[in-house]
Amino acid sequence: MSLALIAALPFLGALLPGLMIRAGRNACAMTTGFVTALALLMLGLHAPAVLRGEVIQTRIEWLPGLGLNANFFLDGLGLLFAGLILGIGLLIILYARFYLSKSDPMGQFYTYLMLFQGAMVGIVLSDNILLLLVFWELTSLSSFLLIGYWKHLPEGRQGARMALTVTGAGGLAMIAGMLILGNIAGSYDLTVILQNKEAIQASEWYLPALILILLGAFTKSAQFPFHFWLPHAMAAPTPVSAYLHSATMVKAGLFLMARMWPVLAGTPEWFYIVATTGLVTMVLAAKIALFKDDLKALLAFSTVSHLGLITMLLGFGTKAAATVAMFHIINHATFKAALFMSAGIVDHEAHTRDIKRLGGLRHLMPVTFAIALIASLSMAGIPPLNGFLSKEMMLEETAHTVWAGSHWLMPVLATLGALFSVAYSFRFLAHTFLGPVRDDYPHKPHDPGFGMWAAPALLAALVVIIGLVPMTAAGWLVDAAAGAVTGEPVAAKIKHWHGLGSPALWMSVLAVGGGLMLLASHARLDAIWNATPRPEAKRIFDGIVEPLAALARRVTAISHDGSLTRYLAIATVTITALGYYAWATADHGTGTRALTPIQTVPAIGWFLLVVSSLALVAFHRNRLLTLVLVGVIGLMVSVGFAYMSAPDLALTQISVEVATVILLLLALNFLPKTTPVESSGGRKLRDGLIAAFGGTGVGVLIYALMTRDFAFPSIAEYHLANSYKEGGGTNVVNVILVDFRGYDTFGEITVLGIGAIVIYALTEALLRGGPANDRLLAWSPDQRRAGDRHPLMLVVATRLMLPVALIVGVYIFLRGHNMPGGGFIAGLVVAIALVMQYMASGFAWTQARQKIDYHALIGAGVLIAAATGIGAWFNGVPFLTSDFGYVNIWPLEEFELATAALFDLGVFLTVLGAVMLALASLSRIAIRAGETINVDAFDIHPENDGPRTEPATTTTEAR
Amino acid sequence: MIAEILISALLVMAGIFGLVGSFGLLKLPDLMTRLHAPTKATTVGVGGVLIASMAYFLIFEGKLSWHELLITLFLLLTAPITANFIAKAHIHREMTARDLPVTGTERDWATLMPSDEPVQPVMNRVDEPPRQVSDH
Repeated sequence: MSLALIAALPFLGALLPGLMIRAGRNACAMTTGFVTALALLMLGLHAPAVLRGEVIQTRIEWLPGLGLNANFFLDGLGLLFAGLILGIGLLIILYARFYLSKSDPMGQFYTYLMLFQGAMVGIVLSDNILLLLVFWELTSLSSFLLIGYWKHLPEGRQGARMALTVTGAGGLAMIAGMLILGNIAGSYDLTVILQNKEAIQASEWYLPALILILLGAFTKSAQFPFHFWLPHAMAAPTPVSAYLHSATMVKAGLFLMARMWPVLAGTPEWFYIVATTGLVTMVLAAKIALFKDDLKALLAFSTVSHLGLITMLLGFGTKAAATVAMFHIINHATFKAALFMSAGIVDHEAHTRDIKRLGGLRHLMPVTFAIALIASLSMAGIPPLNGFLSKEMMLEETAHTVWAGSHWLMPVLATLGALFSVAYSFRFLAHTFLGPVRDDYPHKPHDPGFGMWAAPALLAALVVIIGLVPMTAAGWLVDAAAGAVTGEPVAAKIKHWHGLGSPALWMSVLAVGGGLMLLASHARLDAIWNATPRPEAKRIFDGIVEPLAALARRVTAISHDGSLTRYLAIATVTITALGYYAWATADHGTGTRALTPIQTVPAIGWFLLVVSSLALVAFHRNRLLTLVLVGVIGLMVSVGFAYMSAPDLALTQISVEVATVILLLLALNFLPKTTPVESSGGRKLRDGLIAAFGGTGVGVLIYALMTRDFAFPSIAEYHLANSYKEGGGTNVVNVILVDFRGYDTFGEITVLGIGAIVIYALTEALLRGGPANDRLLAWSPDQRRAGDRHPLMLVVATRLMLPVALIVGVYIFLRGHNMPGGGFIAGLVVAIALVMQYMASGFAWTQARQKIDYHALIGAGVLIAAATGIGAWFNGVPFLTSDFGYVNIWPLEEFELATAALFDLGVFLTVLGAVMLALASLSRIAIRAGETINVDAFDIHPENDGPRTEPATTTTEAR
Repeated sequence: MIAEILISALLVMAGIFGLVGSFGLLKLPDLMTRLHAPTKATTVGVGGVLIASMAYFLIFEGKLSWHELLITLFLLLTAPITANFIAKAHIHREMTARDLPVTGTERDWATLMPSDEPVQPVMNRVDEPPRQVSDH
């Protein structure tokens, strides 16, 4: 359970910032940090076992039929990544607390961050590739939110969109690849897949699966040619960049390649695709980074370059290279996060990240300078820092790698990449911090408070420590992670000095020397660079996406234009055509059941139904008449239910019918009373034909169904047999609702509650200003108002009936389990009784006499239903299993108590609340339209029949 | 035997009333007079059937049936209100003060009279805070 909990903790934590922000920014950040720290602690508790080589597993069956299980496992690789994600996450939370300005919604930021963190932890802990895919997509979505966090910046929005498009598209490809892989291995569990190397590599589907999975990994890890989204994602706030691009999001692709390494690596295809892509990315991005003036863009391209480096190492497919890859992942995370944070500090303090406008900051910001110095020297690969160690090892690996028969291509290009890397690292350092102090910074910079530099300083300290004592500080983690990647025990030997005979030493020297020379001539090279035309990634991207979006819009405009008529026409024609196809292409005899004779009374009912339906079509322009006809049809249908021995349905239908007609009448008050002519004759004919075909189809289908016996045993038998035994009720319909299909009912009342709240929200939006509100304010009744809005007779009668109706409601509710009735019908009956009070005595008068909030009623209903369902867990049975027993309380007879009744109470409350909230919403519209508020229940009060007041007298005289 | 005759008589009487009521509905000239036919005659007609039914169950089945009483109660409650509403709607739509007799009190016909019900500009307890028109 614990592993699932680690993955779940950030998601649960995502709920907190939104609440805690009310307690202040510090409380918000501390809560978020606490959750992350807790997850990190739980991970740490597993660390000793993992380092001993154990694999910790948690298995939860989720949808076993699909092979989708919430299985988690933790090995060295998972430990490394989860540790990075949570550890750096913690530092980012601290840093962001001080980075974000007062106007930024911090609660939102931390919520997004936690969502992202949870998705990342989920990826690295998943033991099921389908589950991994779910988390994978979640990282795309949550990183979209993070990158676009500054919604007011167009770059932020565009960058977020681009990141989502690229990584999302890659994710889709990966889904296909993973499904193929799972099919070959016969299981979607990673631990099983990892055992099946031979089967997978021998399969003819190996190459497609490899390419598809690599597409996912390359897009996520910004490998050439998908590298362009990453620099655009730099529009995000710096904590986001630092988090996403040092330790998490872009490493997800690397993680995936490392995770799949045992089964996918080692083939020529793997080597040529992965190592080449990595190499090209490394060199190309490093070159671009050298010419970027924006600090974050420079770091972005350097990230792409380093990702390429790690990808290349994984691509080599050797144990040693994979070990170096793991080591460099740690090193890159530490120095790159520190660098992003220092760039953020510079931006925060100097109000610019343009290198050309900076320089000389070492005097003004000594602390930041120290941090940036350590981190960028490490990035350049200067001894004795950690970047040097992994770079040396990388160069060593390339030195004995043969690419397409060539011994020198790999080492030369790798040295070139390292050379560029040295150049841009020193450029970052020199052009920002060195040189004379300037007086034209947009804002006079100085070192920030401790809170802001604490996180990068800690990372810089790690850079030094790992650099000085690599074996003690990181060796064990590298061994564990590389062991997990390669599937064999690894004992890495990380040291500074490999002797003069080592080729890496000379390649390193060459890189540093060349890099410094490049930097020296940077100004000249920059001019050449700016003069050469280059493909602009964003323009190409837009050029591809825009037409696609336009195409999507055109397709949508045809099929989803918002016209209900069109949807219905498409659906009806399709279904009818399919039905006809099925009927025409299969064998079918006539029905076996004999027809029953037509009886007079049902025939009359049928006739009424048909006539009302036809009249509805004929008179549909008159809306009031339409409503009356709908009412007639509803009543006939409920009579039909009663005749067919479905009293529950009849009761429900009749009460639904009454409630709807009343509410629709109230709504009609504000609508035109007639429907304008909208359709031409041809269209009417077309729609009429479609309707006729659809209707005939359904009629024939029902006829066919009713003249045959069921092909399969009906589930009704089961319900009839078990309703009393298991549900404790003899009314099968009610037992189905509250017990057998209780979960459905629970969903339905939730939807009903949501529906009512949506009505409320729509009203709220309508009344909040805008054209609709203006129209309401200027609204004058389209029909003459009656003088007597609340007639005495109706008021008295409804008030007389209220207790009776309430008793009936209670009665229907209580008997529901064993006889027709139940919470739904009772809720409607009580709602109608209350609605009648509102209609008779006026909204204000009635509202002043009841103290219940309808929102609360809906909420209470859903909660009671849920609590009843959860109560079953305490009895050790599944959600919503009902229980019942018999009670004797003197002087009552023995009676039954069922938990289902409690559930039904929830249904009752939700239904009541939903109807009343709809009514209240309509009343609010009426009040906005100028409906006056009555204080008395009557308009004309018998007691007032005395001397007339002035205005009334004038009326009388006027007559 | 007497009971049978009694029940039959009630049923026949109810039938006659029902018939007369329906006939009146067809025959009477305008809405106000036509209103009398169903609301009065049919009420008595249905009432007759109900009393007959009660008597039947009491005498022949030996149990007191309450359903009919309830039906009567609801019928007596709803029929006048329905009639009242139909009449009000008719006056409202079709008639003016000139078509109607003088009320005899100082008050006018309620349906025609502009409401003198005490009103207040804002509600005290509706789930909406009072809003000014100009706040947006």
